[in-house]
Amino acid sequence: MSELDFLNHYPQTPDTWDEMFSSDNNIRPPYQKVIEYLSTESADGLAKKEDLAKNLFMSQGITFTVYNSGEGIEKIFPFDIIPRIITAQDWSFIEKGIKQRLKALNTFLKDIYSNMFIVKDGVVPADIIYSCPHFLREMYKVKVPYDIYVHIAGIDLIRDFDGTFYVLEDNLRTPSGVSYMLENREITKRLFPDLLPQCKVRSVTEYPEILYKNLKAISPRQISNPTIVLLSPGSYNSAYFEHTTLARLMGVELVEGRDLLVENQTVYMKTTNGRQQVDVIYRRVDDEYLDPLVFNPDSILGVAGIMSAYKKGNVAIVNAVGNGVADDKAIYSYVPQMIRYYLNEEPLLKNVPTYQLGNKDEREYVFANINSMVVKRTNGSGGYGMLMGHVASDEEIHQYKQEINSDPRQFIAQPTISLSAAPCFINKALHPRRIDLRPFALCGPDGIEIVPGGLTRVALNEGSLVVNSSQGGGSKDTWVLAS
Amino acid sequence: MLSRVASNLYWLSRYMERSDGILRILKINYASSQDALNEFSWRPVIRIYDSPEEAIIRDIEFKSRDVLQYMITGKSNPNSIINIITLARENARSVQDHLTKDLWQCLNEYYHLVNDKRLISSLKKGDPVSVLDELIKQVMLYYGIGEVTMERGEGRSFMNIGKYLERSIQSTDILDIKFNKANSDPDLLRGTTYLRYLLLSLGAYDLYLKTYRQGFDPENVLELVVLNNDFPRSVLYSVNNIFRYFERLKQNNDIVESKELSFMIGKLQSTIKYSTVESITHQGLHAYLGQIKKDLYGIGNALNLNYFAYA
Repeated sequence: MSELDFLNHYPQTPDTWDEMFSSDNNIRPPYQKVIEYLSTESADGLAKKEDLAKNLFMSQGITFTVYNSGEGIEKIFPFDIIPRIITAQDWSFIEKGIKQRLKALNTFLKDIYSNMFIVKDGVVPADIIYSCPHFLREMYKVKVPYDIYVHIAGIDLIRDFDGTFYVLEDNLRTPSGVSYMLENREITKRLFPDLLPQCKVRSVTEYPEILYKNLKAISPRQISNPTIVLLSPGSYNSAYFEHTTLARLMGVELVEGRDLLVENQTVYMKTTNGRQQVDVIYRRVDDEYLDPLVFNPDSILGVAGIMSAYKKGNVAIVNAVGNGVADDKAIYSYVPQMIRYYLNEEPLLKNVPTYQLGNKDEREYVFANINSMVVKRTNGSGGYGMLMGHVASDEEIHQYKQEINSDPRQFIAQPTISLSAAPCFINKALHPRRIDLRPFALCGPDGIEIVPGGLTRVALNEGSLVVNSSQGGGSKDTWVLAS
Repeated sequence: MLSRVASNLYWLSRYMERSDGILRILKINYASSQDALNEFSWRPVIRIYDSPEEAIIRDIEFKSRDVLQYMITGKSNPNSIINIITLARENARSVQDHLTKDLWQCLNEYYHLVNDKRLISSLKKGDPVSVLDELIKQVMLYYGIGEVTMERGEGRSFMNIGKYLERSIQSTDILDIKFNKANSDPDLLRGTTYLRYLLLSLGAYDLYLKTYRQGFDPENVLELVVLNNDFPRSVLYSVNNIFRYFERLKQNNDIVESKELSFMIGKLQSTIKYSTVESITHQGLHAYLGQIKKDLYGIGNALNLNYFAYA
């Protein structure tokens, strides 16, 4: 058997952009060196690398626990060893597109929570704002440092059959996954020695430093050493590993709600030396649970009184409270108009065409073409509660339609976009699987910075279009080339 | 440092020290059980760390392998190694930003080792000593990595206080239970076996031989395990260290409440320092050790109240 055997007979998915192979089955130039490297390895050699990756994740505790009949089982998020590559040219386009989009979204948030010019000018309908559950009246006229609402954004991108990038979702609340961007790279360094420098892959390690710099800059007390904390819901949260990683890499304190208290509209943490004032909170707790006095009264994850300290300007909270109104799926379809309205520019990154089911004409169109549609809840996340029209049974469709009719505002529909595919090493051979891309953008007083890389999520089930980790998704290391 | 973090570091350290103590006791007692002419009872060993129902003890007390499984992988035993290391790791998990990555990785490996099927099956069928050795090595790695990589700050002081508090409680317990048994069965002290294994399980055997040249004498054993200044598992040595690390903590951390704790630790240290074998025998060993244990628990409670409590 020739060593190249596991590379041959790669079954390309029809009508789909493949990241590594062109439609005539040639290897795309950026992947040339990777293929050269892989072809010196046997399939068994690669399988060994796969095991090494698993062991590294395990011994570093990069795991989450699944509870099954009382026994906690430790699992790792599946990692595919074959990297995903983005050319310098594509990256520069993505970078510009995301910066433009974020600038508009941030301005939108400031506008919505102050003058609402965009509504008064009739660009975004008022009812779509007021019916959004994440629109928080508590944030009206609250001044946030430097007018920055979105400090950290994860914009999900996908590629259609011709390779065009589309924005699938804006995540402006507490986007997660950045620790996997960092860890995947560390693992890849171990798996493929010397390959990264040979391919001129840009480094992602700056991320924690940039984030720290931005957090420090927005401290309400302008002192040389403000207290910055990362507020986590606690060790049972599925993203807990990420919280600990970021806290460690930035050298900030990792706190839980019970470690904090509020007095005289000032936030303190309880230390062995008494109280210590907190200046900046990078919270990974959702708005809803942040303050039991203002939001969900049953929440024990948050801190009572924290909103009063925030409104008073005694503490900075990252991301800002109330951002959900900008990444709601119903608002999403207005982002191109926002870009034109606020920036007077044409949007660089395309939106996936989106139908508002709250609108009667659009609803009827969607119902008539339901087999080629994906229907989503506007406030859903994690890939739950979606209807994939091309695979759903008649009964599922019927049921879903009833749900839609009872409250149409809560749903949007998009034509099924076929995500691009990338080769994954599965059962000792290369198979195509669908992927997306989540670059992480950081916004501070100096502007928006995007670390060259991101999280490539993979739908590991054959034929699946859902990349969410809760639905059988995995990830790949993501390489952005320097030239 | 956050109170919660201090508390987690302290408990992490207590659990790790406890697992070390248990593993050593198991190893020595297993060897002793292979040496015994009569049936070897594990009852005192089980009773040091757990107080299960009589039926459970009766069921396994003469079956070495069952006891080892109960003490290492037994889910129903709150102080089994598997339960202790799970707790240690959970404590560490939420303070990872205060541990070095190396130390966290080591704890993980320890955890995965105890859960390893290969290990569990060789505990049932293979050589138990190899299993114990492998686990002990993991604890030693933990101590070594801590020594080399951990910052010498507040966190380390809390960890050391936890470690030495746990160690002094263990040494006191072991001595108390072993001498109690000898009291009810004086024949045990006539041969050398009983005292030799007692010393071995505390890692005191070599030092004993070097210090006392005239055979095994219960009073000398007592002196070594309670009053010796240089034996790392003696009660005095451990309490000296609690004192030392608490003083260090106080330097940067002088809250009002520290005075009370300082007093408690100092008093206990003096009590032990100015005891002699004669004064202990005069008071009665059981009563003496009982008082020490009470003081140690008191220190633990005061730490909890003044440094860890969530007010």
